[in-house]
Amino acid sequence: MVEAMVRFENVGMRYGAGPEVLRDVTFVLEAGSFTFLTGLSGAGKTTLLKLISVAEPPSRGLVTLFGHDLATAKRSALPALRRRIGVVFQDFRLLDHLSAFDNVALPLRIAGKHESEYARDVEELLVWVGLGDRMTSQPPTLSGGEQQRVAIARAVVAKPDLLIADEPTGNVDPDIGARLIRLFAELNRLGTTVLIATHDRTLVERTRAREMRLVDGRLVELRTPRP
Amino acid sequence: MSAKNRIVPEEKGTAPLDVVIAVMAFLAALAIGASLIADRAASGWSEGLSGKLTIQILPPTNGSPNEGLAKETAAALAVLRSTPGIASAAPLSEDEQLKLVQPWLGAGNLVADLPMPQLIDANVAPGSTVDLQTLTARLKAAAPDSILDDHSRWIGRLRGLARTLVWSAYAVLLLIAIATAATVSFATRAGLETHAEMVALLHQMGAQANFIARAFEWHYFRAALAAAALGAVLAALVFLAAGGLEFVGLEAVPFLPPLALKPAELGWLAAVPAAAGLIAYATARLSVLAALRKIH
Repeated sequence: MVEAMVRFENVGMRYGAGPEVLRDVTFVLEAGSFTFLTGLSGAGKTTLLKLISVAEPPSRGLVTLFGHDLATAKRSALPALRRRIGVVFQDFRLLDHLSAFDNVALPLRIAGKHESEYARDVEELLVWVGLGDRMTSQPPTLSGGEQQRVAIARAVVAKPDLLIADEPTGNVDPDIGARLIRLFAELNRLGTTVLIATHDRTLVERTRAREMRLVDGRLVELRTPRP
Repeated sequence: MSAKNRIVPEEKGTAPLDVVIAVMAFLAALAIGASLIADRAASGWSEGLSGKLTIQILPPTNGSPNEGLAKETAAALAVLRSTPGIASAAPLSEDEQLKLVQPWLGAGNLVADLPMPQLIDANVAPGSTVDLQTLTARLKAAAPDSILDDHSRWIGRLRGLARTLVWSAYAVLLLIAIATAATVSFATRAGLETHAEMVALLHQMGAQANFIARAFEWHYFRAALAAAALGAVLAALVFLAAGGLEFVGLEAVPFLPPLALKPAELGWLAAVPAAAGLIAYATARLSVLAALRKIH
């Protein structure tokens, strides 16, 4: 039986006294799976990603991550769970004063590694995403697409068990977009569970992976995982 | 971690806050110096006068004033020298007495013509006590125109003044210390607010609370230490300049004790940047941990 990386059971989410953004969401992301999360703007994709990345607690329902029930997990155990997740934020959230190299290296520093241990991996990854000549550049001097690639490299550099990406190809040209998807597929082949939220139908159709669609806060399964 | 890849950046636009910390540190260092000077002056004044007695023999109104004055002076000296506990007693020479009145009466012939009392300086042996009431009675018997002054009233008032000065200096120091602490704390919190998103990002990436707090506490420790050190160095320069003035024979402020600090006392000024750094460190740590508790 395949291990469940993420399990949602009847999860609901509302901000303050507002309406429910997510309603009765139930799904499982199995270890090593590759899944697209689609839906119109405002359907609740970003909120769902926040719940998976332990950025927000759900208003109701059960969320299990790597076998840990988040409702009963100790607060002190959450940082270790978060370090097993790589997140590509829609707005990148890069640190402007750090170089592309240091931004990408940040998760490794947080994990307590020394520069001598990770320098080569970070450089290779930056070359892979096409930023070999921009390693020392700071985010404000990079284009939107380049910043997005730095954000993606940062999310994958620590070889996370789970990769969550919010519109990761939104700002790059098709060639670079295809290259990034190949990077995600390669990570997935090496065992990382991947969940990508996107509007890009072409990307979803071409990849032929599982698709979960959010409609008004409810989850609709459009395509089941390949056997 | 080198300066270029520190997680918390060197901030631009914080110069006004650094200036406020430097100014407050300057004032705090001045207050510490003033406390030390007042404390030293109070001890000096007390030590300088305690153990000393002055006997004044007024020129007798009957008979020859000069002859009577000499006779009563000799009698008073005999009484003093035979009193247990008196280590020494000597009359002031005419020149010494004239010097004492010169600032008020000048050095003209007028002074020489005035009937001047004779002053006798007596020193009490260290550790001894003298029964002043008995001594006064014995002096009056031997020299009826003698007046004994043990400076107790003057010393008492001087000590009171010195105590007031020292406690005033401590009170000012306390107020400035509170204001400095509040300023450093405020500057640190203001800086942290601009980094709220960074705190949230590091938290989201799985950084432990200690990792995040460490990045910020050392950043603000360094910033406050540098700004406060500048203020303390400026204050030290003020005290060194006052020492320089005294060295060339100029009083910084007439009638007040020397405003210079001794080299060992200058070390106390280092307490200001050290305290500012620690306050910033503690404020940053507590603020970051409080901010993290509010995040899921």
